[in-house]
Amino acid sequence: MAQVTVGGVEQQSGVRPARPETSGNTTFRRRRAFQHRRDRRGLWFVLPFIVVFVMFLVIPLVYAVYTSFFTTRLIGGTVFSGFANYTQALTSGAFWTGMGRTILFAAIQVPIMIIIAAFFAAMFDLGVARFGTFFRTVFFLPFAVPAVVATSMWGSMLQTNVGVFPKIFADLGLPNPNFFGPGHLLGVIVLIAIWEWTGFTIIILYTALRSVPRDVVESAVVDGAKLSRIVTRIKLPIIRPAIILVVIINVIGALQLFTEPYLLAPIAPNISSNYTPTLYMYNEAFSAQFYNFAAAIAVVLALVIIIISGAFLLSQRRKGAVV
Amino acid sequence: MSTAVLTSPGPDRQSRRQSRRSSDVVPLRLYGARRRTVNIVTLLCGVFAVFTLIPIWWIFVSSTKTVPNLNSTFAFWFARPFVLWDNIKNVFSNQEAGSFLTWMENTAIYAAAGAVGATVLSAMAGYGFARFNFRGRTALFLFVMAALLIPIAAFAVPLYLIYAKFHLDSTAPGIFIPFMISPVSVYLMRVYAGGSVPQEMLDAARIDGAGEAKIFLRVAVPLMVPALVTVFMLNFVAAWNNYFLPFIVNNSARLYTLTQGLAIWMNHTNIAGSSEDYTALTITAGMITITPLILMFLVLQRYWRSGLLLGGMTG
Repeated sequence: MAQVTVGGVEQQSGVRPARPETSGNTTFRRRRAFQHRRDRRGLWFVLPFIVVFVMFLVIPLVYAVYTSFFTTRLIGGTVFSGFANYTQALTSGAFWTGMGRTILFAAIQVPIMIIIAAFFAAMFDLGVARFGTFFRTVFFLPFAVPAVVATSMWGSMLQTNVGVFPKIFADLGLPNPNFFGPGHLLGVIVLIAIWEWTGFTIIILYTALRSVPRDVVESAVVDGAKLSRIVTRIKLPIIRPAIILVVIINVIGALQLFTEPYLLAPIAPNISSNYTPTLYMYNEAFSAQFYNFAAAIAVVLALVIIIISGAFLLSQRRKGAVV
Repeated sequence: MSTAVLTSPGPDRQSRRQSRRSSDVVPLRLYGARRRTVNIVTLLCGVFAVFTLIPIWWIFVSSTKTVPNLNSTFAFWFARPFVLWDNIKNVFSNQEAGSFLTWMENTAIYAAAGAVGATVLSAMAGYGFARFNFRGRTALFLFVMAALLIPIAAFAVPLYLIYAKFHLDSTAPGIFIPFMISPVSVYLMRVYAGGSVPQEMLDAARIDGAGEAKIFLRVAVPLMVPALVTVFMLNFVAAWNNYFLPFIVNNSARLYTLTQGLAIWMNHTNIAGSSEDYTALTITAGMITITPLILMFLVLQRYWRSGLLLGGMTG
């Protein structure tokens, strides 16, 4: 439960002020009246966030939908064109090849990363690994590295002919791996994404594991359960909501893939202008100035993401997990 | 293995003892974990640590090399001449696409403004959601959480179009205000305020006649400090590392972020026939970019390593 971990942090940072020990009956009786009377004031605390949220997120979204129903022509200006942009996006191979590729990317990258992260999180949680504190710190470091720098580093190290890894391959007498050729390109991007996000996922899962009450594990130990069984049958099922959350967050991030392929494009000729939907949208908007069409792509992408993550959430709920 | 409770040495030890963490670890031998299991797991940790550290080690080593040496010497070890200082000077003196120092200042300002804004807005909203039962609370909260499913890509281009109408494109507020919207932070603050701000204390303050704003600032905020620090850090890092949003809404070199500037230098290195010097510039600039955040992580590690981060998720 939340309280367990929250309490731990408070003690660590030493900011917990003394709680009033006397909460007598009179206070308790008055509490309801106060709660009721002050109810609406809560809205004033929520309002500032909601204002920024609506102005900078909701309105742009609504505008995206609105503007996607128009078309700007050289002659005649901007005219209402109904679903023309959507028809064009949905019937063109350009959108679906990119969409298919990012779905494949997510289907490879997210499971691999979650399995690696869950394994290390569980090992740290049960104290199986030596130097656990040191390794947790190291694993989290890539979170401090912007995707731009991560892509730059991996791109330089893997670059054909000049990168260190192709050179090592050559020194070992192995064939030129051509990391940015059509065969390995997506794999390289998967590798970069795993490097960037595994540490953060480990921390989230580790934190969730730590908040599982200790007696759950103790009783399993008393029953003679082995290590692997404790991890896969007891601990990981308990933190299922946390796992579902990291899966959702990472799937949404993966389906918006942009920075890595955009920056790798100059050294990887196979990255086309529609390599991912976001890249396609960007190029339609800013290279071709087809803003209305780009808005339609954005809306379709958002719908695909909502449908995929919604379907995943529903399937998990049906299995009995409540998020 | 005789005691089997692995308390690792390090700065974390004291805080662990305070929170009685180490006693939470069930003795290993009770699991039936053999020494061999421990060794294999530790070895796997080592392998993944090498994978994690390879690029970071590479960029620190490479930032000390001359351009010819980058290609002709072993990439994972130092080579003479050691030109780290010259490389750093070159990074700061290059004036193409604005200057590195300006990017750094810009990024620091955007990240700080965005993170402060995100922390203030989400602390207020989280407290409001957790401790008041106003009409429409659940609906409003779900509405905010639904935004988690919205990709940045879906509103970045329309945001740019709206900015263009109101002359907010290529302005500092246009870049950092979107950083203030963090539904995850609202969620964290709601969970944390719900768990750490006792209703009895708020009621007591009300009986004493304190106003709601004063109660929030004097009673609730001090209790929420650990969550405030974590949310600030998460949003600071997210803003510092963000590329896509500034890339879309800003094309003024004066207002470039580090990631924007670096991406431009990177493109120079990759285009055939361009100046080779940009290779060294990009590497050294990348090294300078990641150093402050890595230091910040090492200094503030008890916050992100403690149980706070998303701690309520199993609740």
